[in-house]
Amino acid sequence: MANTTSPSGAARTTLTLLGSLTGAALLGALHSHARPPPATRSPAKAPVPDPAAANRAARRLNRAAGTLAASVLFDSTVEHYRGQFQNRAMYTPLVTAAMALGVSAHGTMDERQTPHVVRDTVYALISIVGLVGTGFHLFNVRRKAGGFSWQNLFYGAPLGAPMAIGLSGLLGYLSERVRETPPGQVPMIWGLPAGRVVGVVSGLGITGTVGEAALLHFRGGFHDPFMYLPVTMPPVAAIVLGRSALGPAGIARRATRWWLRATAILGLSGTAFHAIGVGRDMGGWRNWQQNILNGPPIPAPPAFTGLALAGLAALGLLEDHPDD
Amino acid sequence: MYDNPLTTPRATHGRAPDVFHPGGWVPMREYPQREAVDFVVIGTGAGGGPLLARLAERGYSVIGFDAGPYFRPLEDFASDETSQSQLFWTDERLVDGANPLKMGANNSGRAVGGSTVHYAMVSLRFRPEWFRSRTLLGYGADWPLDWREMWHYYARAERDLAIAGPVSYPWGPKRPRYPYRAHEINGAAEVLARGAEAMGYQWSETPLATVSAPRGDSPSCVYRGFCRVGCATNAKQSQLVTYIPRALAAGAEIRDMAMVGRIAVDAAGRACGVHYHRNGAWHFQAARNVIVAGYAIETPRLLLNSATDRFRNGLANSSGLVGRYLMTQSNQAVYGVMDDMVRWNKGPPSLTITEHWNYNDRKDFHGGYCWMAQGPLPVEWSAAMSTSRRLWGAALREKMGDYNHQVGLKMVGEMLPHLDNRVTLADETDRYGLPIARVTYSWHDNDKAMIQHALGEMQRSLELVGVRDLWRQENDTNHLAGTARMGFDRETSVVDADCRSWDIPNLWICDGSVFPTTGGVNPSLTITALALRTADRICVQARTGEMRK
Amino acid sequence: MTERNRYPGYDVLVKRHSPSWNEATRRVMDARLGVPREPRFLSRIEWDTLVAICDRIIPQPKNRPPVPLAAYIDQKLKADARNGFRNAALPPQRAAWQIGLAAFEVEAHQLHGKAFHHLTTAQQDDLLRRVESGRIDAPAWGDLDAALFFSEHIMGDIIAAYYAHPTSWNEIGFGGPASPRGYVRMRNNRRDPWEPVEAGPGEEARVGRENRRVR
Ligand SMILES: Cc1cc2nc3c(=O)[nH]c(=O)nc-3n(C[C@H](O)[C@H](O)[C@H](O)COP(=O)(O)OP(=O)(O)OC[C@H]3O[C@@H](n4cnc5c(N)ncnc54)[C@H](O)[C@@H]3O)c2cc1C
Ligand code: SF4
Repeated sequence: MANTTSPSGAARTTLTLLGSLTGAALLGALHSHARPPPATRSPAKAPVPDPAAANRAARRLNRAAGTLAASVLFDSTVEHYRGQFQNRAMYTPLVTAAMALGVSAHGTMDERQTPHVVRDTVYALISIVGLVGTGFHLFNVRRKAGGFSWQNLFYGAPLGAPMAIGLSGLLGYLSERVRETPPGQVPMIWGLPAGRVVGVVSGLGITGTVGEAALLHFRGGFHDPFMYLPVTMPPVAAIVLGRSALGPAGIARRATRWWLRATAILGLSGTAFHAIGVGRDMGGWRNWQQNILNGPPIPAPPAFTGLALAGLAALGLLEDHPDD
Repeated sequence: MYDNPLTTPRATHGRAPDVFHPGGWVPMREYPQREAVDFVVIGTGAGGGPLLARLAERGYSVIGFDAGPYFRPLEDFASDETSQSQLFWTDERLVDGANPLKMGANNSGRAVGGSTVHYAMVSLRFRPEWFRSRTLLGYGADWPLDWREMWHYYARAERDLAIAGPVSYPWGPKRPRYPYRAHEINGAAEVLARGAEAMGYQWSETPLATVSAPRGDSPSCVYRGFCRVGCATNAKQSQLVTYIPRALAAGAEIRDMAMVGRIAVDAAGRACGVHYHRNGAWHFQAARNVIVAGYAIETPRLLLNSATDRFRNGLANSSGLVGRYLMTQSNQAVYGVMDDMVRWNKGPPSLTITEHWNYNDRKDFHGGYCWMAQGPLPVEWSAAMSTSRRLWGAALREKMGDYNHQVGLKMVGEMLPHLDNRVTLADETDRYGLPIARVTYSWHDNDKAMIQHALGEMQRSLELVGVRDLWRQENDTNHLAGTARMGFDRETSVVDADCRSWDIPNLWICDGSVFPTTGGVNPSLTITALALRTADRICVQARTGEMRK
Repeated sequence: MTERNRYPGYDVLVKRHSPSWNEATRRVMDARLGVPREPRFLSRIEWDTLVAICDRIIPQPKNRPPVPLAAYIDQKLKADARNGFRNAALPPQRAAWQIGLAAFEVEAHQLHGKAFHHLTTAQQDDLLRRVESGRIDAPAWGDLDAALFFSEHIMGDIIAAYYAHPTSWNEIGFGGPASPRGYVRMRNNRRDPWEPVEAGPGEEARVGRENRRVR
């Protein structure tokens, strides 16, 4: 039967399958939420800081930064290719995201307890580049006819993308601070417990990414019900993570952990959703030259994964190093 | 083997083409000719399509007749201006008057889906005041309808067609958010935006009936820009891919390549069926009710051609107004050249718009207009250049070389109804032996004043953004309306507010020809809204027993 | 005739097997390119006049295969494919063309004592301009409104035939057929890799190389 309002054939089947898998992750999150969290501090966890734990957390953060960088690298390559690298500056995110990816890979494998000067510099640099890039994109949007109109927010330079690369740098920078924790001390950043700082940063990062997904999915008219997932699930994750980061430390947070895991999975299945979307566009994959660019961005959703991983690292820090 | 929809009907043997799949079919109910169906709808375009869907969905037995072929866009549409004339009404019509109209590609479709198969998808609402222009603005004629009711049906039409429009439309009373977001604008459309900003006017993305994200089996628009010769993507939400599939699913039958030559009237003076030509022979389909939706030329032609001893001047024509008050819309343009590489053919042609509703700014003429960005393909462009500038030879080829640098603005303006602008029958006959239409049209002073005003405004806005080599296309017109106007009484109109003819109670006319005035924006969304309303009214009248009167 | 080629090296036909062309387009374009180059409706003498008129309405450069414009007019007349309207002052298109072409011939003989296609291009242009503005004498025109015939048919039909041909698309840098693949880059000065590059003066060689990669 010809269908005028919902897709038919293979596209429908695959979408349903993928949706169910993501839904299962979501159910997991909801289910664990239902269980009463162990409210008391577990006596098994001694308040003596474990240096290996700090290193583990730092490496997790490197991994998170790397995942985010990978998403940005591929996404900005595609977007700036569409923009035909009209000016030199458009190569910047490629170079910086690649560098972030490199040093993050290095950091993820590095079991030493000291920060690495190259890594540290690169991460700091990238944070700044992210800020500058956001400025560029703001300028680009403002310059167009209509200024800050929906038209330009939808189709002009995306404001969130440079922020994402900056966030990757920031996470890496935080990772270096955690890593340099002297043995026997609680990891601190800017005079605050590291777990809380990382938790807040990841929570805000997730919130920003939700904003970007909301904008683009609004542009797509939420034409598919699954498009509501990234604007409903990660916000819950951000809230529970925020609560954990600001609330009492040293308790096991099953629910938060599950929400973050579900968000990480969502980031990955989002990629698959988007790939199906590209295949559904006119001419399918044979018309990849058009559809990769005009269809849903395949590399974008794993940004959620990166940030959820950072959130999980924060949880680890909070649990390993109760500060109150 | 390629089965040619232009030579053989496709909707037969209990199935109709699946418009979304090459070679595909969907099941279709079929009705016997001798048993009267509840409704026969003649024409399956902007007006006929929604009627078919809504009546079938309400459980009526309905057959939609169309003289044109039943296309599957994915397999039948070439990216080619010339061969896609298969979508147009290319049978002869005579044009005369002081300003003879161009028909064919310009305003007349002939296909299942009607002119919406090749229209430019601009989907705008009339301004509320236009429905009462006589009373409120002192020109034209009032519609026997309340705009608030229309507002409700506009919203439904916009939902049904998944219109992609701006988040908020700058002009007119509030309307619900468009179902899909506006498309990215192209360089030519940006010129309109900058020009409007320079003149202190608002501008907006144009609400278009082509999706900016997938919808069902329609992928999103690929910006190929061949919209006016048919959308081979199926992104365009024409009646062919929206209401017609809905109608089939609800049990309607479509008869493609079926030219209705005559509406039959019984001894009691009620319509009782239609004579139609299909597969090389004439047939008769019995019907309890007949709805004509053949657009402003074919509708009056059919009514006039159906004259009987009892209705000597044609059906529904006791007022003598069938064929009269024909209106078109002024479609003049200003074009020019930019240094930038524009490539204006990319994307739907009219991505941005500015409306001039002519309320309180004391212009010296009646009526409203809007203008939109342009992006004609080479054949259409060469015709505009050569006729308006009288260019041929090396000079023409030289100017055509600027194709990719060209930009332009084109108005859609309200022409006022005049008794003498009309459709009559000519002596010549067509391939079915039916007298062809003669279309007589002359512009009047108000029309000319508006055109000059619009040309001046458009030219200034282009000058302000540095477009060079400006010239005016002074002679173009497009959409049609009128010829079976609706009104308040049987003396001054052909149909009532429900599109029901005053003379024959079971004969309806529901297409662009019922417009008493044509408004200053493109008409098809209004036709569709009107058809949705008519379907509802028919159901109400059937319930209350009014139908039998 | 030497003229600047604004899109050197661009050939829209190279895209024939790219995603820019669908099967329907290939079918249509094959038929267009394969049009018979001989008259099938018009007589030989009408044909010769028509060919000469086409050469003046759209003069074509010598350094490339010409678009067979007369063949398209003949094809249109043979199929009697109409536009869907006719100015009431004109007869149906077949008659209009036949009367008009014959009248051109008579005018040529009256003015210069030669067939139209044997006139110099200046003489041909002059005669065309007379017809365009309705300054004609020959009774051969009969009821045919010469100026209207010129604008509706001579200009209308011939120019439409030329700009429906891929050769003209190469000349004006039109992207040509576009389905299933449409376009991505919508703003000014942005080019999809399957669109041609325009050459400024002196850039022909470099741009030619780029355009040969357009597909
Ligand atoms: C190139 C172009 C661009 C346009 N762009 C726009 C636009 O952007 N926005 C807009 O609002 N409008 C646009 N229009 C106008 C719009 O398409 C028409 O106003 C609208 O479709 C008219 O609707 P209708 O139902 O009256 O007739 P149509 O949609 O024309 O349908 C009439 C149908 O009836 C059939 N028919 C007629 N007589 C008979 C008969 N005797 N027997 C059987 N079948 C018959 C015809 O074959 C045809 O299919 C455009 C039109 C054209 C041609
Ligand atoms: S531009 Fe969009 S609507 Fe127009 S023909 Fe192409 S895909 Fe269809």
